[in-house]
Amino acid sequence: MLQTWRELLQYRFLLKQLIILNLKVRYKNSVLGFLWTFLNPLFMMLVFTVLFTIMLPQASVPNFPLFVLVALLPWQFFSNSVMMSTSSVVGNAHLIKKVYFPREVLPLSTVLSNLVNFALALVVLFGMMVVLRGPFTIWILLLPLIIAVQLIFTLGCAFFLSTATVFYRDVPMIMDVLMLAWFFLTPIFYPISILPQSRELLGVVLNVQRLAYILNPMASLIASYRVILYDGSPPAWDFLLRTTVTAIGFLILGYLFFRRFRRSMAEEV
Amino acid sequence: MSAAVSFDDVSKRFVLRHERAYTVLESVIGLVKPTRRSTEEFWALREVSFEIVAGETFGIIGPNGAGKSTVLKLMARILEPTSGEVTVRGRISPLLELGAGFHPELTGRENVYLNAALFGVSQAEAQDRYDQIVEFSELRDFIDAPLKHYSSGMYMRLGFAVAANIIPDVLLVDEFLAVGDEAFQKKCLSKIEEFRREGRTIVFVSHSLRTVEDLCSRALWLDHGRVEAIGPTADVVERYLESVGTGA
Repeated sequence: MLQTWRELLQYRFLLKQLIILNLKVRYKNSVLGFLWTFLNPLFMMLVFTVLFTIMLPQASVPNFPLFVLVALLPWQFFSNSVMMSTSSVVGNAHLIKKVYFPREVLPLSTVLSNLVNFALALVVLFGMMVVLRGPFTIWILLLPLIIAVQLIFTLGCAFFLSTATVFYRDVPMIMDVLMLAWFFLTPIFYPISILPQSRELLGVVLNVQRLAYILNPMASLIASYRVILYDGSPPAWDFLLRTTVTAIGFLILGYLFFRRFRRSMAEEV
Repeated sequence: MSAAVSFDDVSKRFVLRHERAYTVLESVIGLVKPTRRSTEEFWALREVSFEIVAGETFGIIGPNGAGKSTVLKLMARILEPTSGEVTVRGRISPLLELGAGFHPELTGRENVYLNAALFGVSQAEAQDRYDQIVEFSELRDFIDAPLKHYSSGMYMRLGFAVAANIIPDVLLVDEFLAVGDEAFQKKCLSKIEEFRREGRTIVFVSHSLRTVEDLCSRALWLDHGRVEAIGPTADVVERYLESVGTGA
């Protein structure tokens, strides 16, 4: 483990180069190029705002554009990282077969390049918070902590999925559907409070609201972002703590899975 | 003298799966309806042991399929041995394929940095070497053009320029560099000569026995994944020629 760490340190220039490559290739040949980092979330915010304040006004929430934007940005960070990480090893087969380097840099660079994108998109968020009169409170200082927890969770998923794709090429297709479902199951464009507290399903009474929170690490992460950036109040500490533990667990398991197979990757991709 | 590369009882097995499940569905079907598993084992190397002393130029010869490339890939750590142990001291420059990892959309300059990074070089060192690399490649006029506009010869030249100028401790040279024109080939050879004088370790794989005899002090003869002979190049080449000669 220590040796892997030292090696990653030695290859940090490669990590940096791959992050830059990811960012460059994403916007290569597009007219607006880098501006898309800012434009994409704004358009998404617009779409959801039109949908939920004009077309379906009964579900409306005060200051809906900000409500949805604070959740959408972290979600896009997660979802783009996960989708791109599935092919991060397989897509670089030509490198793996020709040159030795610590394979960890592949999923790492994918997630970190999305983190850079997310950090830039936060500029848009703060701009919109000024425009839409969002709350600037002391709790904003917790933002790096929540991002760190999300990063840990995302890395765990990325290590697992990039390895799984080496052995099963339909992982990206499965994740496509799964991420859509996950998007709807996470309170992004609706407040978690609209979920029923007791719902009978096949004779069992379920507290859907609590289940959505407990079973979905992204739900409590998104809720934490929303509480500090939209409500301007402290996050639910017990949930944040539990999610941190879950995230670290995911990273350990995901990385162990990656480690178990990384040696044979050159032969399998 | 210390060993730069050592193979200790190394074997490498490849499993050739003719019907490998690539999708989840295929795996599930495989559970219900077990097809005849047509896996085949192939031992590319068997109990190979040898040492390359730091500073020597070492040749590997043998017919096609003898395991020469597998030896190089094990040295470069691209493959892991099935059993035994491979130890390499110092930085190894993989010449397995020049320009591996070049990205067509990036410029020559960007690719030089990316490629250097791929070899495990630090940012400071890459910047130090940059001018030398460009000078060696003779591509200064094209260095800011995207690589997709390069000819294949230019591509290879840039690849060799990076590989040869990051100053590896162990240089791997696979086959001969059909790189560029004669002038550039001479340049490559003189670079290898320079490495030799500097006392770096060179591992050289070739079908050209003459080049091996010219360059290498010691050689290894592989056949069917086993060591046939190892020793001073002249002796090994002579024995190899004898064995080939008897067949002809």
